[in-house]
Amino acid sequence: MRSTCWLFAAVVTGVLVTALTPPALAKCEPEKAGAAYPNLVGKKTKIAIDPSTPPYTIRDPNNFENIIGFDADLARAVFKCVGLQLEFATGAWSGLLPSVIAGQNDAMWSNLYYTAERAKQVDYVVYMQAGTGALVRKGNPKKLKSMDDTCGIRAAAGLGTVEEAAFRDQSKKCVASGKPEIPQVSYPDVAGGVRLVQNDRADVMLTDLALVDQLARDNPTAFERGFAMMTGFKVGVAIKKGREDLLKALAEGLKEMQGDGTQRELLKKYGLDPTLQITSETLRN
Amino acid sequence: MTRWIASLLLLLLAAGCGNPSGGSGVPGRSLEDLSAGKLVTGDQGGAAPSAGNAVLQGLREMVLYIGSPFLLRGTLLALQIASLAMVGGLALGLVLALMRLSSFRAFGGAAWFYIWFVRGTPQLLQLVFLYDALPLVGIKLDTFATAVVGFALNEAAFSAEIIRGGILSVNRTQAVAAMSLGMGPFLTLRRIILPQAMRAILPGLANDTIAMIKLTSLASVIFVNELTFRSQQIVSQNFKFFTVFAAAGAIYLMLTTVISAGQAALERHFNLELDRSRSRPSALARFLGVGRRAAALATPTPESRAPDHDSVDLRLVDAAHPLAAAAVIVPNAVPSPTNGDSHPAFVVCDDVRKAYGAREVLRGINMTVRRGEVVTIMGPSGSGKSTFLRLINHLDRLDQGEIVVDGKRVGYDKVGHSLRPARNLAKARADARIGMVFQHFNLFEHLTALQNVVEAPVRVYGEPRAAAVERGMRLLTSVGLAHHAHHLPHRLSGGQQQRVAIARALAIAPRLMLFDEPTSALDPELVGEVLAVIRRLADAGMTMIVVTHEVRFAREVADRVIFMDGGVIVEEGPPAEILGAPKQPRTQQFLRLVEREVGTF
Repeated sequence: MRSTCWLFAAVVTGVLVTALTPPALAKCEPEKAGAAYPNLVGKKTKIAIDPSTPPYTIRDPNNFENIIGFDADLARAVFKCVGLQLEFATGAWSGLLPSVIAGQNDAMWSNLYYTAERAKQVDYVVYMQAGTGALVRKGNPKKLKSMDDTCGIRAAAGLGTVEEAAFRDQSKKCVASGKPEIPQVSYPDVAGGVRLVQNDRADVMLTDLALVDQLARDNPTAFERGFAMMTGFKVGVAIKKGREDLLKALAEGLKEMQGDGTQRELLKKYGLDPTLQITSETLRN
Repeated sequence: MTRWIASLLLLLLAAGCGNPSGGSGVPGRSLEDLSAGKLVTGDQGGAAPSAGNAVLQGLREMVLYIGSPFLLRGTLLALQIASLAMVGGLALGLVLALMRLSSFRAFGGAAWFYIWFVRGTPQLLQLVFLYDALPLVGIKLDTFATAVVGFALNEAAFSAEIIRGGILSVNRTQAVAAMSLGMGPFLTLRRIILPQAMRAILPGLANDTIAMIKLTSLASVIFVNELTFRSQQIVSQNFKFFTVFAAAGAIYLMLTTVISAGQAALERHFNLELDRSRSRPSALARFLGVGRRAAALATPTPESRAPDHDSVDLRLVDAAHPLAAAAVIVPNAVPSPTNGDSHPAFVVCDDVRKAYGAREVLRGINMTVRRGEVVTIMGPSGSGKSTFLRLINHLDRLDQGEIVVDGKRVGYDKVGHSLRPARNLAKARADARIGMVFQHFNLFEHLTALQNVVEAPVRVYGEPRAAAVERGMRLLTSVGLAHHAHHLPHRLSGGQQQRVAIARALAIAPRLMLFDEPTSALDPELVGEVLAVIRRLADAGMTMIVVTHEVRFAREVADRVIFMDGGVIVEEGPPAEILGAPKQPRTQQFLRLVEREVGTF
């Protein structure tokens, strides 16, 4: 009887201690990679990026062989934290996601927005939200203050991006309400899109808000931000479906990088608003 | 040169095995001075430096970009992909071209389909498909391999048509001449057709090479970091598109300049009309296309050379060493005593029939030629004379009947009562040793007189080159052309060309010689020198069938004259009989016409 009582007390105490102790603070354990990710350790995980996506993945101006930017630095930090190695595969943006789906690369980490359509083919770990900005020439000659103003306006967006789709949808709305449709141009790289606006071949370019602000800040005589939209898009790293180990490693690593403030530091380093950070989560369809 | 190209390719391949996709982390030379950072806009405001300084600064930057290892690595990658893909594409393209030219419908159809499909679909999609769809069926090519394979497969379709065009541009008579010498189809292709087709092929291939080097930028979508993509990356980081793209353009221009120069050099190599012995225009002048006309003008036309110089040669040979010359010419001429009486017939034709479509060309030819006999065949054009000759050495197929030469059917197996073409026709022709001389000479245009003569002995009969050259020189001497041994055919007169052609036919040590109107394409004053050579062959005991309209020659040289018309033998007999007192009205009419024609000269 007494022993039963002792046992009961011990169990209750144990349960209480477990329940009340706050979860141990996140911490990187690269040395445990072998046990945690036996299939990934010792191999270079291939991360597909487009190194012409400022300020997320770009060439280092001091050494073109290096790749820097918010996404590139964050990826490196995450992989270092979980004790794995990565290798960047650099290609044109429209080829990145197909290469991950085909298994030619392991993940895409290049300012990729989460969409339900994409999530049918890849799993995501999201870590920030996107703002979308409209880059216009100085003085905003077409007086563009929202998407509703873009009917009949020459609009530019990246090939295969959600902004491209946004203009397509807006154009349908314009036609439905009896306004002219949007003459749309798609550019293969951001710099090409900037030239479209700069040379008056397009009136507005829709792209990442941080990039729009950076361009307007660096070239105050040429550009300004027409309008901004908090589109609520989540930005994440995409992995081919079925790669559970890699998904787990990325989720773990991102959690750590948010816990210790690394992600916030990197956002600031590249001129991005730290409040864009969202709690990382795994999203799968 | 082949070795050069091979080692260059090996080098490129070896370099390509590194890290072609240009990943991360490889430290390189710093270029901080290039990337001051801000976007260069048209409107710089008051802070802009003076225009002259800006231009100078821009030029300086451009030069620095041209020399930057980052862009040069992209250049090397583009070169590697383009050159390897070009080699693979050409090899496959040649196969496709031959398939399209093949008489097998399945081959031609398959090649046509491939070309139709590859030419008709965007190359970008082909690359993405190879890179991203093949892994689904378990074939995973890396970036570099995908680019090489993708561009090679694409190039194959385009070069197949260029090569096919080149092959078609070579006169078919060249292949016929090679066949008559016993050369097989692949030997003919390699030695005779392709070298002559190169002139037509080269400009198209140079176009394709240049286009491919530039088009490698398409492969950025499959992670190939070549020159254009790399310059785009720099621009998207510092927005200095003008200087960076100008630098990339300058690099491309340098590459394509090298290719253009290579094209000019190769075209010169394959240009038969260029006189190599004379002073040449400078490399730059050639590249710019100047000087070609000058060189062409400097080459003397065949008409401008004196023909009497050669006939002197011929007489000298005749007078000084008539017997020696005959021995050189007719190694197999001594009649064999065993065959002489027991097998008097050397060529036996039995009910030979041939039709082209519905048109019956030969309607039952029966004739026999004895060893050492000289038979001339006469008759109006369209009577089937030339077709008959071509059947004897199986340049064309019999429909019915049979032809036996020296106891063998050339290239047929007898199955039951019918004949079936043998599998190795070229070998059968070579073994038969039947020399043939054509109306239009059909010399190999890209080979000198001596090379024409030694080609078959060396390549078909495996004679050592030195021995073949020595014998070839003796043959050329015996037809009076020793001085012209190293001239290309187009520099010789018609009579000289025909004598080279006879020497070439004699070089295979023939047991039977076929002459298909050997003097019909010659100017009247050149006929004599060719007939003199044939006459000496007859004197030396060569068995010959000569299709000719030369009545006097037939009368003096032939043992027998055959008159053909409408695909049958109308009458035959000794020359005096047929030419002197023909019985058949058709023969009489033809001879009257021929003599009137001769009279007009």
